[in-house]
Amino acid sequence: MLKATSSLGVIFFPAFDWAISPTHPEREERLLYTQDQFREEGLFDIKGISEYRPLLAADQDIMRAHFCFPSVEAICTESHRISAGGAIQAARLVLEQETRRAFALVRPPGHHAMKVVHGNRGFCNINIEAVMVEWIREHYGRKRIAIVDTDCHHGDGTQDVYWHDPDVLFISLHQDGRTLYPGSGFPYENGGPRALGKTVNLPLPPRTSDDGYLYAIEQVVLPILADFKPDLVINSAGQDNHYSDPITNMQFSAQGYARLNELLKPDIAVLEGGYSIKGALPYVNLGICLAMAGCDYSGIREPDYNHAALRESSEIMETIKQTCDYVLDSYFHPPMGDFEKQGKYFIRERKVYYDTDAILEKQREELKDCDQCRGLRLIKTGSSHLLPCLGVELPIDCCPTCEREGYEAFNRSGKEFLVSQLLDLKSKQFRYLAKE
Amino acid sequence: MRIGIDVGGTHTDGVLIDGNRLVAAAKAPTYHDNLLESINQVLQAVLAGQDPVRVQTLNLSTTLTTNAIVTGKTEAVGMLVSAGPGIAPKHYRIGDHYHLVYGSLDHLGTETSALDEQDLEEAVAACRDQGVKCFGVASKFSPRNPAHENRMTEAVADQADFVSCGHLLSGQLNFGRRIHTLYYNSAVWRTFRAFAAALTASLKGFQLQAEVNILKADGGTMPLTRANEMPVQSIFSGPAASVMGILATTRADHDLLMLDIGGTTADIAVFAGGQPLLEREGIAIEERPTLVRAIRVESIGIGGDSLIQVVDGRVIAGPQRIGPCMAAGGPAPTLMDALNVAGMAAFGDVDRSRHGLSALAAEHQLAPELLAKAAIEAALDTLAAKITALVREINTKPVYTIHEILTDREITPTQLIVIGGPAAVFKDLLAARLGLEVTVPPLYEVANAIGAALTRTTSHLTLTADTARSRLSVPMLGIFRPIAREFSLLEATAEAKRLLAADLDQAGVAMPAGEIQITQADAFNMVDGGYTSGKNIRVEAQVRPAVVGRLENGAVVIRMTGSP
Repeated sequence: MLKATSSLGVIFFPAFDWAISPTHPEREERLLYTQDQFREEGLFDIKGISEYRPLLAADQDIMRAHFCFPSVEAICTESHRISAGGAIQAARLVLEQETRRAFALVRPPGHHAMKVVHGNRGFCNINIEAVMVEWIREHYGRKRIAIVDTDCHHGDGTQDVYWHDPDVLFISLHQDGRTLYPGSGFPYENGGPRALGKTVNLPLPPRTSDDGYLYAIEQVVLPILADFKPDLVINSAGQDNHYSDPITNMQFSAQGYARLNELLKPDIAVLEGGYSIKGALPYVNLGICLAMAGCDYSGIREPDYNHAALRESSEIMETIKQTCDYVLDSYFHPPMGDFEKQGKYFIRERKVYYDTDAILEKQREELKDCDQCRGLRLIKTGSSHLLPCLGVELPIDCCPTCEREGYEAFNRSGKEFLVSQLLDLKSKQFRYLAKE
Repeated sequence: MRIGIDVGGTHTDGVLIDGNRLVAAAKAPTYHDNLLESINQVLQAVLAGQDPVRVQTLNLSTTLTTNAIVTGKTEAVGMLVSAGPGIAPKHYRIGDHYHLVYGSLDHLGTETSALDEQDLEEAVAACRDQGVKCFGVASKFSPRNPAHENRMTEAVADQADFVSCGHLLSGQLNFGRRIHTLYYNSAVWRTFRAFAAALTASLKGFQLQAEVNILKADGGTMPLTRANEMPVQSIFSGPAASVMGILATTRADHDLLMLDIGGTTADIAVFAGGQPLLEREGIAIEERPTLVRAIRVESIGIGGDSLIQVVDGRVIAGPQRIGPCMAAGGPAPTLMDALNVAGMAAFGDVDRSRHGLSALAAEHQLAPELLAKAAIEAALDTLAAKITALVREINTKPVYTIHEILTDREITPTQLIVIGGPAAVFKDLLAARLGLEVTVPPLYEVANAIGAALTRTTSHLTLTADTARSRLSVPMLGIFRPIAREFSLLEATAEAKRLLAADLDQAGVAMPAGEIQITQADAFNMVDGGYTSGKNIRVEAQVRPAVVGRLENGAVVIRMTGSP
């Protein structure tokens, strides 16, 4: 009988009664065959691998990570709260040392959800990793956390949430943004002025296979993690790099995913995308679980797997190697981006499109260049559906000046803004204010 | 009239019940090398002065298969196990004749590698050479497609006395459990068959014309003819009989706990709304998980004979047992002796209890009464901790829909029912410790036999339909046939009920349609290339464990037969 060498808690929550729409990739059927595979392979009969149910994320849990406009209820359905609650359960298991590692196999996903949320982007409403990370820091104190996003799409949401946070290292490996949604994630995106180098983007050319992907893990991700020395490693585990995925162009396999997790040794993995529900997910999920539990995964492969046929060309491999060299160098010597500054504030102005809900958001972010703390952050945001809203964020090390200015801005916001939300990470105050 | 017999580890208990009235009860010693003798003794006792022709049903719970396995008195089984990629089948190796045959089916039942005929031929030849006569054939994902199992069955047919075939044993997915279940089923088949034949002959001698059923671990029964095909289902039926005994003697329609305290262990079962909870997938045999459906019973190493020790200044009770309590002539002080010394019981030779406890207490500079109290406390601690953990585990079991997360009812037991030898002694102690209403039902000493007598037949089946492929599968009945693309969930549930009723009818059990429960009914929209291609339908139907009646209170003398 098989035995796990490092115990693993799996929060398996297929949400068999929830879909974006009946034929949407994010539908009830998505994890059905993964469940069949788990059952037939007897995953939960392996000593040391156990199954748990998700918790339910409360308003406060979500408000720690996001500015949801006009309200948390308007953005989040029960399905999102449970999905995020699954990630929280995974964190709880690991931090309470009930299991050595945990995998939240939950849906819907979350890594395209940014700091400000007006609706659904790229199948995501709230960022379940971010909700989890904030829950961890709320209950277990300040931690250095590395999130490695192995979904095929750039984790633009998670990148945005932690853009200014030097305690969170965000590494995204993904199919080159010039060829795939959301069209971002280039190496020069390397963090805000106060967290330079703490965002790492490694775009991979289409048709990258196991060899190229694992090269990037070994040559770039592992050395960066060794330098950052995180307290926790989180794998934002999308499975859409798979060669059979219907909406991407990569050639990764179940063996590759298992090896990736064996190398990365994440404390927590959280499922993101992956829509080859019959041909990939049953094998990839099984491979990840076995690798995380330290079990032999050598027998796991897709019925139609052919390593030689999937392998990338030498030209592609050369491109990967060049990108890897560049990205590794920019982590250790991050180039200063040309941050726009008005007075004492760094300014970011941009438009964000919510493809699923067809919402266009216009956003202006002001980050105070404070020499006492990370700086007060104000986000003024309006959308095609909603008049201007304000988000006020006080960082965890907030100085008295920024604290005062932040509360002033929040308290008088009712005159100008439809809704404002306060996110005070220092005093743990999270609340809304409606227009007077 | 109904007869219930429970062959236990020490005693064989029997009862005769007429309607809701207990007519007679008897206890005989269990002779492990001659179970039939024990059965005959209790039959003789309960049938004394009765007309045997009036007995319509005889339900028997026996340790036969359990003992055969525990004592290693099993037959060699040729295991033909077919799998391709995935977790390697070598991890489930069981017995001395375990043969791998390459071949592979995927989760949809599609053949992805043909069965390797050469592997098969070699395996069959090896078994023939070694004189193996009983077989188990299993392939990964056989409930989705039985082709490989059917081929392997065919290959051994002319040299086999008996073949257990995976998909016919259970429609549930779990390859490892399938392998273990098949092995044990074939390993005890001959022993069980011989016993069944002897039993049938013996019953004739009693002028009994009753239908004979065998108890299963899920608390229900199966007709003897079915038991001959699936003897493994008769394993661990003893605790299940006790659980059914509670249902037959107590008004139980709320959340409650059952504690069956014996000499070596205490068994705990949980009832939700009066229904005993079942194991999620099946019970483990020799620590190997199987697909045998069973009432969930947790055993704790606490009983009347639990050894008392002082380790590093801490008093512990159980899980070790080295013999009976000193009061019954045992070699070392046990929990029962502690209860005697503490004045809570007066069982057997109380002086021997006191003597033994005093000696142990003196070794550790303790007062004997203090040692007794500490030992009882330790036992209660262990029981309470296990009960709390069990209820917590049940309340946090995984669920798969948002609806269940939001509506799932927590189980909060308010009552504890204690049965077994030392039950009465523990009643007040447990009530004080657990803060629950603790009751000891009437007739608790033969609750197991009463449960056996009054329980009914249980059965279940799994039906899946894939309308994209126009295919209906009911593995346990060997049904794999085409359906219309319009086949609906409604039709699927109706079909599951109809098939289960028909199958029971074939085994001679009349089951009203209303008694068949649908425990799962899901239809998933299947999408291929952006278009709906069909529905993936999954239905589970069952006849749940239940008793046919509840006993009215009434005193009956329990006859002891044979030598103690």
